[in-house]
Amino acid sequence: MNPASTSTLLVAMENVTVRFRGAQNVHAVNGVSLTLEPGKVLGILGESGSGKSVTLKTLLRLLPESRTDIGGTVIVDGRDVLALGPQELADYRGRATSMIFQDPMLALDPVYTIGEQIAEAIVRHEKISRKAAMQRALELLQLVRIPSPERRLKAYPHEMSGGMRQRAMIALALAARPKLLLADEPTTALDATVQIQILLLLRQLQRDLGMGVIFVTHDIGVAVEVSDRLAVMYAGQIVETGTVRELISDPQHPYTRGLLAANLHGAKKGERLEAIPGAPPALNEPPSSCSFAPRCKHAEDRCRTGLPPAIVLGEGRIVRCTRAEAELAPA
Amino acid sequence: MSLEISTEERDRGGAGTPLLEARTLTKHFPLGRGAVVRAVDGVDFQVLKGETLGVVGESGCGKSTTARVVMQLILQDKGEMLFDGEAVGSAALSLKEYRRQAQMVFQDSYASLNPRLTIEDSIAFGPTVHGVPKSGAILRARDLLARVGLDPARFAARYPHELSGGQRQRVNIARALALGPRLVILDEAVSALDKSVEAQVLNLLMDLREEFGLTYIFISHDLNVVRFISDRVMVMYLGEVVEIGPVDELYDDPRHPYTRALLSAMPSMDPDNRTMEAPLAGDPPNPINPPEGCRFHPRCPQAQTVCAKVKPVLTRTGAGARLAACHMEIAGSGHSRALGLEDAA
Amino acid sequence: MSAATTDAIPVAITQPLRSPGYWAGVFKRFKRDKVAVGAGLVVLAIILMAVFADYIAPADPTRSSMLRRLRPIGTPGYPLGADELGRDMLSRLIHGARLSLFMGVVPVFIAFAVGSVIGVSAGFFGGKYNTVTMRTVDIFYAFPSVLLAIALSGALGAGVFNSLLSLTIVFIPPIARIAESVTTQVRSMDYVEAARASGAGPGTIIRVHVLGNVLGPIFVYATSLISVSMILASGLSFLGLGTKPPTPEWGLMLNTLRTAIYVQPWVAALPGAAIFITSISFNLLSDGLRSAMDVKG
Repeated sequence: MNPASTSTLLVAMENVTVRFRGAQNVHAVNGVSLTLEPGKVLGILGESGSGKSVTLKTLLRLLPESRTDIGGTVIVDGRDVLALGPQELADYRGRATSMIFQDPMLALDPVYTIGEQIAEAIVRHEKISRKAAMQRALELLQLVRIPSPERRLKAYPHEMSGGMRQRAMIALALAARPKLLLADEPTTALDATVQIQILLLLRQLQRDLGMGVIFVTHDIGVAVEVSDRLAVMYAGQIVETGTVRELISDPQHPYTRGLLAANLHGAKKGERLEAIPGAPPALNEPPSSCSFAPRCKHAEDRCRTGLPPAIVLGEGRIVRCTRAEAELAPA
Repeated sequence: MSLEISTEERDRGGAGTPLLEARTLTKHFPLGRGAVVRAVDGVDFQVLKGETLGVVGESGCGKSTTARVVMQLILQDKGEMLFDGEAVGSAALSLKEYRRQAQMVFQDSYASLNPRLTIEDSIAFGPTVHGVPKSGAILRARDLLARVGLDPARFAARYPHELSGGQRQRVNIARALALGPRLVILDEAVSALDKSVEAQVLNLLMDLREEFGLTYIFISHDLNVVRFISDRVMVMYLGEVVEIGPVDELYDDPRHPYTRALLSAMPSMDPDNRTMEAPLAGDPPNPINPPEGCRFHPRCPQAQTVCAKVKPVLTRTGAGARLAACHMEIAGSGHSRALGLEDAA
Repeated sequence: MSAATTDAIPVAITQPLRSPGYWAGVFKRFKRDKVAVGAGLVVLAIILMAVFADYIAPADPTRSSMLRRLRPIGTPGYPLGADELGRDMLSRLIHGARLSLFMGVVPVFIAFAVGSVIGVSAGFFGGKYNTVTMRTVDIFYAFPSVLLAIALSGALGAGVFNSLLSLTIVFIPPIARIAESVTTQVRSMDYVEAARASGAGPGTIIRVHVLGNVLGPIFVYATSLISVSMILASGLSFLGLGTKPPTPEWGLMLNTLRTAIYVQPWVAALPGAAIFITSISFNLLSDGLRSAMDVKG
């Protein structure tokens, strides 16, 4: 990454590590570097324990500070997130960056109406009257296409259906017009026909508002629907990045290939699946060799003795696997 | 061991008889003040011997209640079930005997194992209930552990919380197989697992199906998984079956508008052909006091007056053994897209 | 299954690795909780004190001396002073532990047994049986426990046995309610469903799958009632409905010493302190047990 381009980036994470202290330390994120240009969507794909949600929370400094060690640098919209003071952080959250979750009940307060909550979020960041804020809240509900928004403004979260709550949470996240929206599996708990509605809504809002979005999911199909670029995480590291097209049509890392096969899209009926054996490693130690090697059928001695190189195959196309070296050789 | 009976010996009705036949299964839950949850409302289906019947549908469609009624954990208000030609609960097939032949695997691998019992004790529990001596049941449990890919020497005496989700689900599968069942109901059994682990468990389920000659009812919200593992698929909406038929035929040429919507709501895997329009608006309604006529008509893009008035029955459609409950498929139903009676003849 | 496939299975001949059982894990977590271990040691010390009171107590707890009434703490021969009849406070406190502990533990123990049977059966069978049983229990529960204990003791008459009986009746409803709610939770767990699907009857399911998972939490709740029971028993004695003088019992001692509160406040406060220390130790102990029994940790 050259310094000139850094300034135009919306997000630049450089070699970020996250360690949770406890009876046993957990090295949840181990050297993650990623960038996001303004107005683009990055999908982070990974399974439970891959560090994808922790990476996302690091961007908002949502991790419990007393027992978390964070290393590396996190720059969002020109601000050094890890160095923000309490007041700056409060201003940064919601204003520059906001987040939506899998469970809207985490983000919505059950004792206030939807309108009150959105208006409160607006007033916190802008000097406008309560009444004007309510008007903006109504516009936001229209923006996320909640049916009969005037009525919903006065509704409590529990009075809404699952899909509607998800829309209300998105409206709340957009209240202060953030430049970056973080989405942590926002459609995982939804039914199929509702999930696609929310995905299409997010895609449209992102385009209309020109937001940058980082979308974390375990579902490849969902990631493909919303993302421009993808990053695949395993054991706290990004093992492969590229455009959606590159990753889907030409996956390089054995883990990415395994995930694609496990999605069963176009799998041959009755044939055994080429499943990845075993389970992800416990992250009590920082990795000193390829974390995927114990499950990889291509693993060689060098995979088990040292960290795999980050091989750059093209602009923003990086694979952490020794096997990708072959791809570099002139064809 | 007394439970070791070959499939052939137990096959009473012959290959032509369905293993399970559900006739107008109905289960309503009264909520008080006249409100009734019509969780399962007159469901008919057959499960053929050796096949896997996939069941799909969204929340509130009644697929899990159907599973519990089939397992007789909840008793139906109306309707009956025939297992290999014999009525379940009759003199010929008592409930206890039926439960030896039909077993279930639940979604939550942790909640379905008693935290105070070791793995082998959990698996051995069923056989001891049916009179197998404890020592024999334990040996059988270790044998089954080996078959589901868990080394008995390492896992038999462990407790559930010491295992990963995938390992626990293997234990639950072993537990379901301990009684030597012919029918296994898998209620979202792989849904909570990570994708890479899910593939392992699906492989295991396919191996076991072949090895033990099992018949599966596979309930899932994941349409990719259902397509992969099922021979036939049943689509449910608000407590009713809307379409049922061979998997490829149903996926390639869905006849019910709801099936079509469900299939087109699947995320596209092609970045150049993303989904451009959501097939349905709003959330699936809940099954309290569902609409008259066709239950899908308020959300159906092709609904006409007849749909609001007359309930469509499951009707043979398409090339083969497919049934759909839609007025567009019923000759002479009064829907403008339906064939006239004379055309059908 | 044919014999051929049976041969192919590597059935474990050797005993599998025994992983440490559930209770071993509970004990390990409990040991890490310093406060709970401390409380447990205090409880143990009080129990030992009560059991060996005859050997530990420096003097006869009933021997009075009109000359040495209300001596302050630290008087030679009377390390914790003397009461209004000149009896040695230390000896009376040590002997008093017997009856106070007895009145704390026994009613709770009996109520634990009876309340568990009522609550577990109501929770497991549900339906009308549950409604009838639990509404009956609620009638008793509606009275404040102090009032109920006083009313029952008053009706039955004074005496150790009668106050024991009334305390037992007071504690059955709360224990039955906890037992019922825990059992209702366990009953809806998938492993109970799976056991039913295996064809097991209610007796087997309760024995194998329910009791093991509900008795622990009910027991922990019951231990937290021991302190309440001790205080109520002391209260009954204080009102003259429990123990009769001159038997040493902390509640009764508090009662008889109340007139001395302006003369020797420290001595008068000693029985109260003993009740306080014992009951708070029982509470901390049951708190520690509860968190130690939380699996998933």
